[in-house]
Amino acid sequence: MANLLFYLMGLGAVIGSLLVVTSKNPITSVLSLLGTFFCLATIYLLAGFQFLAAAQILVYGGAIMVLFLFVVMLLNLGHPEEGSGLEFMNKRRMPFAFAASAMLIVLTFAGVLGQGSAPGAVELAHMATIGDLAGLMFGSFLLPFEAASILLMGAAVAVIVLAKRERTQAVER
Amino acid sequence: MSVPTEHLVILAGILFSIGVAGFCLRRNLIVMLMSVELMLNAANLTFLAGSRAHSAGGEPMLEGAVFAIFVIVVAAVEASVGLALVIALYRRQQTVSVDSLNQLGDA
Repeated sequence: MANLLFYLMGLGAVIGSLLVVTSKNPITSVLSLLGTFFCLATIYLLAGFQFLAAAQILVYGGAIMVLFLFVVMLLNLGHPEEGSGLEFMNKRRMPFAFAASAMLIVLTFAGVLGQGSAPGAVELAHMATIGDLAGLMFGSFLLPFEAASILLMGAAVAVIVLAKRERTQAVER
Repeated sequence: MSVPTEHLVILAGILFSIGVAGFCLRRNLIVMLMSVELMLNAANLTFLAGSRAHSAGGEPMLEGAVFAIFVIVVAAVEASVGLALVIALYRRQQTVSVDSLNQLGDA
């Protein structure tokens, strides 16, 4: 049953990400990316990573996708892009894009099928709870954790500076 | 769930390559950023598949999950800075198409 759900969610994630790339309307792209993230959260939950699934929904579904949706609506881009057919794609880069993705898929399959002793099916003894993660996070990963908090603060300052109007314009008002 | 690790890795590979294709193909800067998010998610799935594969039996091994959390943090930072750049660009040029950004090229 859980296996069937995994394959269903995997199919949903692939279809959603294809819709992200191929839809003409940016709103459709944003919403199908949201669906992809929810499918991936279900897969994380099925794989036994409880907190990661929650963080996926909170951070990606809650914060990042709202940010994307907000920017699309703020800039009034919520209508299909102009041009007929595949005009919204860059035709010159099409061969490169298909070659790169075909190569990546072949590489994945070769890497997976080529390894000698495949780990095969694994079932976690119990779900990885937030307590297990916190022990590791505030133990051996304390320094990267602090570095990530500094990165977040630096990004907050950078975004404010970037989004601020220039001083001369502000004075004119 | 008793799905083999290989299938998780193959799913991650497919999602990553769709992200690469989207990043190369689209002209819209916002959709390109979304393709990057897709690639980061595929990388996360690989981390979790590795974490799960190495915790066979006994206790779950969570180093991969911790790394996935760091990837989520970096993705949030990347999205916010990238979208601030998009807004600054739109204010200046009234477009989010990368084809119109050729001031530094010889075109």
